[in-house]
Formats: sequence, C-alpha cells, structure tokens
Amino acid sequence: MQHNDESITGLGAIKIHKNAIASITSIAAVEIEGVKRVGGNLKSGFFAIFGKKTYSAISVEINKNGEVRVEIPLIIKYGYNIPDIASRVQENVRQSLEKMTNLAVKDINIKVRAIEKE
Amino acid sequence: MRVFGILFYTAVLILIGIALIVLSFAFTFPGLQSQTSQSINDMLLYVQQNAHVKIIIAFSGGLLILVSISFAQLILGRFQREKTIAFKTASGEVTIALSAVEDLIRRITNLMPEVKELRPDVKANKKGITVELRVVLKSEANIPGLTERLEEMTKGKMQEVLGLEEKIFVNTHIVKIIPQEEKDKKVQPTIPFSGYGRV
Repeated sequence: MQHNDESITGLGAIKIHKNAIASITSIAAVEIEGVKRVGGNLKSGFFAIFGKKTYSAISVEINKNGEVRVEIPLIIKYGYNIPDIASRVQENVRQSLEKMTNLAVKDINIKVRAIEKE
Repeated sequence: MRVFGILFYTAVLILIGIALIVLSFAFTFPGLQSQTSQSINDMLLYVQQNAHVKIIIAFSGGLLILVSISFAQLILGRFQREKTIAFKTASGEVTIALSAVEDLIRRITNLMPEVKELRPDVKANKKGITVELRVVLKSEANIPGLTERLEEMTKGKMQEVLGLEEKIFVNTHIVKIIPQEEKDKKVQPTIPFSGYGRV
C-alpha cells in the first residue's frame, strides 16, 4: 500500500513520517514572536510522564490527494493580538512545510489553548 | 457513532440494572435462594472449565473498554468544541479556548490595584460573548466607577487581543470587599548594638 506522504524517486521511495511533519510545524510555530509554546494534550502529557517528549500534540492528517491538514494547539504570550499571531503562524508553517517536504498544505488549524505571561 | 455510543451505553446500563434487580429478588425469596446460588456456581464453573468462554469474556471486556474510551473521547471532543470561539482565515480555522480568554481577563487584575481577585466566566452564544466577572475588591473604592472602568478594560482588551467584532456583554458581581492592608510601616534602620556603651 502506497502512503500519501510517500514520493518515489529513481532510487527508491521517500516517506515522510507524520511525526516529522509535526516537528516542522512545531518549530515553525514557535519561531513566531508572541507564541509561548505548543500546547499539550492528554496523550502527550501521558508520554511526557514516561520521559518520551517526542510525542507531539500537533495532529497531522494526510488525505488521499496527498494534501496535509495540521492542527496546532498553541499557548500565546499575554499582550499579543491573537488573530495576527495565528495568521503569522499559519503562514510560517505553510512556508516551512512546503519548502521542506514539497507537500501541499490544505488547512492549518490553530487552537489557542491558553494565554501566559512572558 | 455518537448515537450508537449512547444506545450502547443505555442498553448496557439497563441490562446491568435489570440483572441487579432480578438478583436481589432471587435472594429475597427463600425458595429461590439456593436455586440462584446454584445457578451462579454452575455458571462460574462452566467459565472456569471452558477455555473458549474465558477468551470470549476477555474479548468482551476489551471491547467494552475500547468502546468506553471512544465514547469518552466523543463527549470530551464535543465538550471542547462548545467551549471555544472560532473564526476562519485563508489558511484554516483558528479556535480560541474560552479558558484562554478567561486567562486574558484575569491578567487585568494586575493593571488595577483596587482589585484583589478576579474570577471571570466567559460564555459564547449566538447573541455574542457574555463575560461574568466575580470581583474581590481591596478597599472601599468607588464601586460604580471601578466596575465601569473594569468593564471598559475587559471589553477593550478582548477586542484588542482577540480582534473580535462580536458583541461583548460584561456583567460584574462584587462578591467581597476586604479592608486595605496596612502598608508596611516604615521602620527606621537600627544600628546593631547601638544601645550599648552609652552611659
């Protein structure tokens, strides 16, 4: 079965794992000023208890057409305009994903979970 | 899926309820007591001796746990969806948790020295966003003036940070007024052993 995030070159297949996409997304998101960190969820909290910090709360879906849909839980710093930060994060994530993976990005959904002080 | 989950849980709970009622009735009447105990014993013995039945019971237990987890996720997901403010952008959707909005309002406390504690409760509906503020004041400040300022600041900050165009209703309840703490009395620095050596 061929995966949607798989591309075939003359030498073989290249597969990009969803975790790699989640990592790129996470790094691109926190690059934006005003983003405190990527939020967690129950699963990431559970894995963090056992010292496994690689599990990301960012959810990545790839549809049949090879289009990527990501959902990013964010913690925003106090005093920043949320819609502005959200659109900058969406733009940066889109650019980073397209540049690094050549995948088509369909949706980048932001979930602002909390606001924290710097 | 949600309807299936609700039906499943209703059926399971009704069955458990009926079984418990039947069991209690069976143990109430002396004529049925020994018969019921015997039936339960037979059933347990049958399970103990038959490997297939054990496997079926174990699988049923596992399935029940999986259905419970998925059902809980559905409920939690729905719960989370309801407690957010959402808007669309060109790249996707942005949802802001109402708890995040409450965090933001709580920060306002730092800007107003008269406010000791602020407990906001944000609700979003079709009419707009309603903010209920429960406030503990530090001193007997001018309450109408203070609440007006607080409401203005809350509205302003929400519109500024969240970029919301929807109507915002702010209701304030002063729940407690505590007397202002005496400022630390200025204590003159004393020189150690200054009282000694003087005649």
